[in-house]
Amino acid sequence: MATETALVDVGILFTAVALAGVLASRLDQSVIPLYILTGILVGSNVLGELPALAGSEVGIGGTTVTVPELTLGGVDLLAATGGLALTDTDFVVVGAEIGIVLLLFFLGLEFNLERLLASRNRIGKAGTVDLAVNFTLGFGFGYLVFGGPLAAVLTAGIVYISSSAIITKSLLDLGWIANDEAEPLLGILVYEDLFIAVYLAIVSALVLGGGDVATAAGQIGIAIGVILALLALVSYGTGFFQRFLDADTNEFVVVRALGVTILVAGIAYALGVSEAVAAFFVGMAFSGTDHVHDLERLLEPLRDAFAAIFFVWIGLVTDPGLFSPSVLATIAAAAILTAPTKIVSGYLGGKIYDLDDRRSLRVGLGMATRGEFSLIIASLALSGAGTGLAAGTAETIYAFAVGYVLVMSVLGTSLMGYSSRIEPVVVGVLERRRVGSAQPAEE
Amino acid sequence: MTIYESDLPGVGKKFEVELDDGERLVIVTHNTGKREVYLKANPDADGDKLFEVSDQLARKIGTILEGAYFQPVETEQVETMLGDDTFLEWYGVTGESDIAGESLADARIRERTGVSIVAIQRGDNLISPPTPETTIDAGDTLVVIGDREDCAQFEELLGGGTESE
Repeated sequence: MATETALVDVGILFTAVALAGVLASRLDQSVIPLYILTGILVGSNVLGELPALAGSEVGIGGTTVTVPELTLGGVDLLAATGGLALTDTDFVVVGAEIGIVLLLFFLGLEFNLERLLASRNRIGKAGTVDLAVNFTLGFGFGYLVFGGPLAAVLTAGIVYISSSAIITKSLLDLGWIANDEAEPLLGILVYEDLFIAVYLAIVSALVLGGGDVATAAGQIGIAIGVILALLALVSYGTGFFQRFLDADTNEFVVVRALGVTILVAGIAYALGVSEAVAAFFVGMAFSGTDHVHDLERLLEPLRDAFAAIFFVWIGLVTDPGLFSPSVLATIAAAAILTAPTKIVSGYLGGKIYDLDDRRSLRVGLGMATRGEFSLIIASLALSGAGTGLAAGTAETIYAFAVGYVLVMSVLGTSLMGYSSRIEPVVVGVLERRRVGSAQPAEE
Repeated sequence: MTIYESDLPGVGKKFEVELDDGERLVIVTHNTGKREVYLKANPDADGDKLFEVSDQLARKIGTILEGAYFQPVETEQVETMLGDDTFLEWYGVTGESDIAGESLADARIRERTGVSIVAIQRGDNLISPPTPETTIDAGDTLVVIGDREDCAQFEELLGGGTESE
């Protein structure tokens, strides 16, 4: 691909992302589903199909329409528009990788072990309820639908992990951050994030190692070795990282942090360990220094820009043709099953924090949103196609995850937005049941 | 008065301050330095957002609340105008001034500069109006009336001993 074309492609990519962002704020929705849809639309599977449309017959609701050739001043419009379609070029793929790395780096950076231990009792209880309910359900669902333990473990992760990014932003937008429901929500998210770091380490070894435990054992051995090395880095590296980032200018802080994070993630990836996990540990190593504040301030825009590339890439490699009726039915079934389970487990989590019915329900409504981490697991499933998973299964799981995240991110954001209407109804029902039941209400 | 502090992972810290009438003030300090301030009508109510401010402005507001906010105001010499071109001015007299120790009659202030001394502040006492026999001591503050030029001349007469206030 010629350089000038590549530059135009990147320009189209960011312009499309910017427009999606405008649309998202108009619709009062999270940007993530819109970025994915943008990726699907500008990809070779939709926009790239346009030139082939001219003269072909399209069936719309029983009537067949022949698409006319649209020309303007001798230029075939469809072909010209189709020429703008993006493919998953190296830039997009690597950009998406950096997006994953930075997302997890931030998790590690904001992850504070002492803080977690201080409130481990409640976070542990609420987080374990969340894990037990949703992971188990996801595993059973995945086993039934896709067959095989590995597919089930992947589905369990996709269904279990809520979206830290979307939920945190919604908390701020709705002003819930000042209320009591913020603590259990953010606490459960911390638990999930920690779990997902360990989960990715193990599952990526399983997926990339070829599925059967014997082959994967060596891979897991390497993974454990790398993780131990990273843990040593976290434990003993703080002093080094502290000096490493003692730079006079923002520029030096940014390039040094990026250098060490992406290098470590890249080496880990080359050794067959999840780059996301490596980035998480690097973030943790930095979290002990007093540069956390600066790093967050300086790297946040970078993280968001690359994360946007990641979401668009997710869309680019999604063929809408994969959404067969059976996959759509699977997505619908998963949404119908897992939205209520998250609401229930979140409600119980709120109760563990001694909140009243209304606020506990809010915790549940908030937790329903799934997003970036489900997609990271989906991309992991895709990379395991042909090794750990049958190619067909991997693609189906991927399509399922993309559709599922689209549904759950929109649904979850809406549930939070309309919670003021949902609360009175549910709280009323709960109270009537308490009054109606013979047993004294447990408070 | 209890203050509850809690962590908001990924966001920052939250402080909840009990106010006297059961209301609560909630301050969310973001990792970015931004502060959001909410008010709850009671501990169980939802917070109503009052305002959000940058780190810098938050600190300034904090010092005002603390009663420690002080910023020296740099002004030109205090000038009080009476009419078109007549000024009421205050001058301090130091020991280095030529006229320190002289009586008003001997110093011939009005003849030499054109200003009139309407009052002399000496410690806690105000000598007003001063008589020709009144001496000018070091440490006095002289209240004079004159036009701009006269005042400038008088300042010159006081010489190194002036101390404008």
